[in-house]
Amino acid sequence: MMFPLYSLGEFGREAGMVLGVLCGIAFGVVLERAGFGRASNLAAQFYGGDNRVLKVMFTGIATTATLLGLLSAVGLLDMSLVTVPETFIGPQIVGGLMLGVGFAVAGYCPGTGVVAAASGSIDGVVAYLGVMLGSLVFGLGWPQVEGFYNSGGMGSVRLDQLVGLPFSVVAFAVVGMAVGAFFGAEKLEAWLATRRGTEAPDRAPWLRNVSLGVVAAVATLALVPAMMPRAEATAPVPEAGSIDAVSLASRLVEGQRDLWIVDLRSGCTKATVPGAQCAADVDGLAPTRTLVVVKDAEQAVPAFAGRVLVLDGGYDAFRTAILTAPVLPAEPTLAQVAEYQRRAALNGYFTGSAAPAAAPVVVKKAAAGPAAKKGGGC
Amino acid sequence: MSDRFWNPYLAGIALGLVLTGTFLVMGFGLGGSGAANRIAIGTAHVLIPASTEANGYFGQFVGPGKHVLDDWLVYEVLGMFLGGALSAYAAGRMRLNVGSALQIGVARRLGFALGGGVLMGVAARIARGCTSGQALTGGSVLSLGSWIFMFAVFAGGYLAAPLVRRQWQ
Repeated sequence: MMFPLYSLGEFGREAGMVLGVLCGIAFGVVLERAGFGRASNLAAQFYGGDNRVLKVMFTGIATTATLLGLLSAVGLLDMSLVTVPETFIGPQIVGGLMLGVGFAVAGYCPGTGVVAAASGSIDGVVAYLGVMLGSLVFGLGWPQVEGFYNSGGMGSVRLDQLVGLPFSVVAFAVVGMAVGAFFGAEKLEAWLATRRGTEAPDRAPWLRNVSLGVVAAVATLALVPAMMPRAEATAPVPEAGSIDAVSLASRLVEGQRDLWIVDLRSGCTKATVPGAQCAADVDGLAPTRTLVVVKDAEQAVPAFAGRVLVLDGGYDAFRTAILTAPVLPAEPTLAQVAEYQRRAALNGYFTGSAAPAAAPVVVKKAAAGPAAKKGGGC
Repeated sequence: MSDRFWNPYLAGIALGLVLTGTFLVMGFGLGGSGAANRIAIGTAHVLIPASTEANGYFGQFVGPGKHVLDDWLVYEVLGMFLGGALSAYAAGRMRLNVGSALQIGVARRLGFALGGGVLMGVAARIARGCTSGQALTGGSVLSLGSWIFMFAVFAGGYLAAPLVRRQWQ
């Protein structure tokens, strides 16, 4: 496994933020070149005459799903480290309908509003300001919407897990569905163009055929390794490992999104590790993230399909190591000073108290790697 | 002003390569509305810090030791703005305007943009993402909820479109 680089700790947080800007630049360029900085191009989708939004979006999804399927099938990508947005059926139906209405009215979705604003469209600026305002409206209504917002949570569920097929097989089906939708859309465009006496958009059938042919060919290629029997498919779940308090705290500081932290202790509701959830069991958590268990010594490690790490020494160790201000020995060695600074920074981060003036330091990274390697198209 | 955009299928492949690259490098995908949320909360926190921290939703983003704007999605949207500007400038499409194919008055166009934006802002919070973070990114990793969201977006768009037809014709 070589990817994803960041989840595997190949580079630190600062490099990740720089890469964020670079990924954003590439995203912005593509959206602008696709014509998505123009409200009229986007809104046209909902009147049938020009299905540019559908074509770009479904080709993008089909391409990505195909490539991820291929890379994971040949063992280059660890799909379990790729973040999958969690499913909340009710909120996503209601939110989707509302967003669709807003999209048709504004003529932009949030991301395309940014690109429109960047190319000088005042209505794009206003639409994105509206999105910000909407966030505040949501927050002000939080007491009323919190229950609905958290209803129907299913965790991270992928369609391939749902139907029990390899990722690339479902990706192949998505490509097939997208191609079907494109031919339908072009038929509709041709019919409406005749009826309205205008010209149908994007008359370049060879370009379409070549593009879709390439995507379909790669999707077919991805089926081959995925269909081969895999030895590790029946491999037993690995035994629980352990993580010490300082390592856990460092990972939390870095904003790792690949952990579930569950505190099984009865005292959890009084005090626990920041970000932990109090629970009696770990049912319902997707095995796509690593489970960190906070428990009393006599409590058993719960059964979990994914990787499990037990916090060494439980919550008491975390409190002692992180939430208690460290003390510098009277005549410290350099190593002791470094350790003290690291503890003080972590303590400051989690308790909000500033590190003593004598030792102004930033939080040390657990994986301050070299500059990020270039991978893929980003 | 040039109207020559990329062929949509080629643009889609380019979009797929950017998104795949993001997944390979970071392990997560692209977003459009997360930054709006954080900028809005950050602004509120500067103006009225106590009430913002006391709010059950905003309080998850601001408070001691939390830096609401120091988030990958904020840097990414900053990049989107730069990329969009670069591309529009290079194509000769950089021009101050209140909306392409303006068929209604300026005030009404901006009113529609604001109203639609507010609706999308609320919707993106309820659904935990927008067309970028849910439909495109989540759809690409075959997330069940993202596909449900995507069909709901199209349904909402087609339902509302006839009511605002005059904007574009």
